[in-house]
Amino acid sequence: MGEALLEQVINGLMMGSLYVLVALGMVLIYGVMHVVNFAHGVLFTLGGYVGVFCYQHLAPSYPLALLLSIASLAVLGLAIERLVFHPLDGNLRNQVIASLGLILFLENLIIAVWGATALQWKVASTEHLVSIGSLQFSAHHLGIIVITLALVAVLGVFLKYSRFGTAIRATSQSREAAIVVGIPVRRVQRSSFAIGCMLAGLGGGLVGPLFLVFPQMGDVPLVKGLAGILLGGMGSVPGAVVGGMLLGVTESVSTLFLPTDYRDSIAFMVMVLILLFRPQGLFGQRIRGED
Amino acid sequence: MRRIAIVPRALGVLALIGLLTAPVWAAGHPYVLHMLVLSCIVSIAAVGLNLMLGYGGLVSLGHMGFAGLGAYVAAVLMVDARWGFWSALGTAAIASAIAGALIGLICFRFRGHFFMIVTLAFGLLLHAVMNNWDDVTRGAAGLPGVPRPAAWRWGDTVISFGQLPNFYYLALAITLAVFALQYVVVRSDLGRVLGSIRQDERLARARGVNVIVFKTVVFALGSALAGVSGVLQVSFLRVAAPASFNMLESINTVLVVIVGGAGFLVGPAVGALLYVTLPEALRLANEWRLVIFGGLLVIMMLFAPQGIAGLAYTLWQRITGDRSAR
Repeated sequence: MGEALLEQVINGLMMGSLYVLVALGMVLIYGVMHVVNFAHGVLFTLGGYVGVFCYQHLAPSYPLALLLSIASLAVLGLAIERLVFHPLDGNLRNQVIASLGLILFLENLIIAVWGATALQWKVASTEHLVSIGSLQFSAHHLGIIVITLALVAVLGVFLKYSRFGTAIRATSQSREAAIVVGIPVRRVQRSSFAIGCMLAGLGGGLVGPLFLVFPQMGDVPLVKGLAGILLGGMGSVPGAVVGGMLLGVTESVSTLFLPTDYRDSIAFMVMVLILLFRPQGLFGQRIRGED
Repeated sequence: MRRIAIVPRALGVLALIGLLTAPVWAAGHPYVLHMLVLSCIVSIAAVGLNLMLGYGGLVSLGHMGFAGLGAYVAAVLMVDARWGFWSALGTAAIASAIAGALIGLICFRFRGHFFMIVTLAFGLLLHAVMNNWDDVTRGAAGLPGVPRPAAWRWGDTVISFGQLPNFYYLALAITLAVFALQYVVVRSDLGRVLGSIRQDERLARARGVNVIVFKTVVFALGSALAGVSGVLQVSFLRVAAPASFNMLESINTVLVVIVGGAGFLVGPAVGALLYVTLPEALRLANEWRLVIFGGLLVIMMLFAPQGIAGLAYTLWQRITGDRSAR
């Protein structure tokens, strides 16, 4: 039992890492732009596709493919922010509907370009096995957890101690006050959007070799990321990390007791229960005016 | 000025005549009728969402989940319990309405983002039930063998709905009834209250409007219409499949309402016709159709959030200088 539990906890941390990458990006964007980017899942998918494309057609180097997918997602993020979200600033309904349009546009563009069938992405690190006690995991599996945790630490330090990170936090707290004290709010918004999209791209690039690269691969991380955000508390960065990880581990461990069919329903249950009984989430930040 | 005012009505009458005579002018092209039936089905769900989103300002991202609920209730009743089409349709509409009211009551605790996320979650939950409850819904493979409505008989005349033109008239009749219902609702006190909630919920509440009650009513009504659309769909295609009611389909319904013109009576019809027929006319593959419509949705949000009906209305005002009702 103990071993099975450990295995599921590590599986859960891996899935949770992916949820965290999506959730963090959405929380950063939500903080400074005050909009939930429902298109974040399809950006995750795009990260996987750009990665596998670069790997197979440019150079068979995994780190390079990851970097390229992160870089192209940053460019795409800047474009989306400039062309779609910024012009619609202040109109939540239209921003959300535009993000739905982006989902349709990008997801079907991917199908049109790469086809609807899943692509295989063979990378050496998925075959290299690492032993923990009597359990074996692929190096890739553990790598996802390590990279995510390292990134979370870096991002945490950046937000807490750097000048620009402080500007991001200030803008999240009050855009008007940030403008008053001379923070370049537009630059903060652009950068946060780009960082959010880079995290989604990284997530897609990381999970691609482990499973498959397919047009709907971002749907689950999007929904679970949203659930993680709600669990942790809307707009809270530590909340998004803890919420995403907690959700991943809970899901995995639940497979020890429940049929696997029910695993995905746990996220929905968590969302509904949290919203009903503790809408401010575990990390209870204030609820914004529009809640 | 009086003379020109007749133009929109004339256009409406012409469109209606065109639709009523479709089996004549499209004789020999069953494909056209097939498209028109699909447009009817899409527009019924879109009318439901138009009442919620266009008139009530409630952005629901799980609309097709309720269509699926109605569709599966009716399909199971018709296939397993051998119910007739009409009793199954009625039961499905009531079931969707009740589910909509109950789920709506939970969702209305939230506004803005949170409301959208909860409706998305419930849409996914309903889809997960259809996809996984194998004993009842037959799971992801779908529930085949859904019957068409039983034939009508008067003496020697038999109208069988296995034939496309007859089913088309049935779908058209239901669609026209749904649009008539939309007209009545929008012109009634309910419609005016919804408008006040959309424009300023706090003010409406301050003026003594019981906001929750009216939101629940419109959510139930919208869900019931989604259910009717779902029942018609599974009876037309003769199979109920979870993929027809997933998140992407819910997004597509939002697309139809917005592109057609949210908050306009003809919006859902314009959106549904365009959504179903334009890609066929351009002979596009399915993925390119959604690439184009996705891009169109973003562009419309940026430059014409009032949709095609709204653009036409603005143009009409320019021409006539008229500022009367939509």
